[in-house]
Amino acid sequence: MSERKVIDARGAFCPGPLMELIAALKLVQIGDDIEVLSTDKGTVNDVPEWVAKVGHEMGETIDHGDHWSVIVRKAK
Amino acid sequence: MSAKPLFILVCSEEHEKIQMAAMMASVAAVSETQVHVFISMGAIYPFKKGLSDDQRYKGGRFSQVLKDKKAPDAMMLFEQGKELGDMTMHACSMALDVLGWEEDELIEGLFDGCLGLTKFLSDAESGELITL
Repeated sequence: MSERKVIDARGAFCPGPLMELIAALKLVQIGDDIEVLSTDKGTVNDVPEWVAKVGHEMGETIDHGDHWSVIVRKAK
Repeated sequence: MSAKPLFILVCSEEHEKIQMAAMMASVAAVSETQVHVFISMGAIYPFKKGLSDDQRYKGGRFSQVLKDKKAPDAMMLFEQGKELGDMTMHACSMALDVLGWEEDELIEGLFDGCLGLTKFLSDAESGELITL
């Protein structure tokens, strides 16, 4: 059963949200999702770029108006 | 791992450059690129143990913005790069010599030791070299 962990990185500037995501990915199981909440616009582009490079799976990116949710599944 | 390791030579103590070096090093290290950072000349000052943020980071207008907005601390980013990626950091032995500093006066846990420029440059021939 996969789980979803939420990382609240709102208010953090680049590369804070990405680093928090990476630290969190180390602690979850393969198949688990991490949802990063971010107010940093760069996160929306940077996270998919990083995910593609290192081989995890990108989930949805949701625009909540004042912040984004970026969902990543641990694939390895 | 990416084919080419990244070598970052930092010789300016300007906050903006230290911040950029920390951002590049940490992001590259966690993106499966091997990173080697070499701290020389005035860039060694901000790495001294026990400084307040104002003592540690001297820079231009953007430095104040980084402090006011609480951008991720450069020393913390270097630490995260080492923790989460494949990254080494060395202090320039000449810089420590001329200042009369010992290695234990630098922030703990950040450095993998001292190195001479010749060795760093020779290693850097196998990758991309960025100077800040």
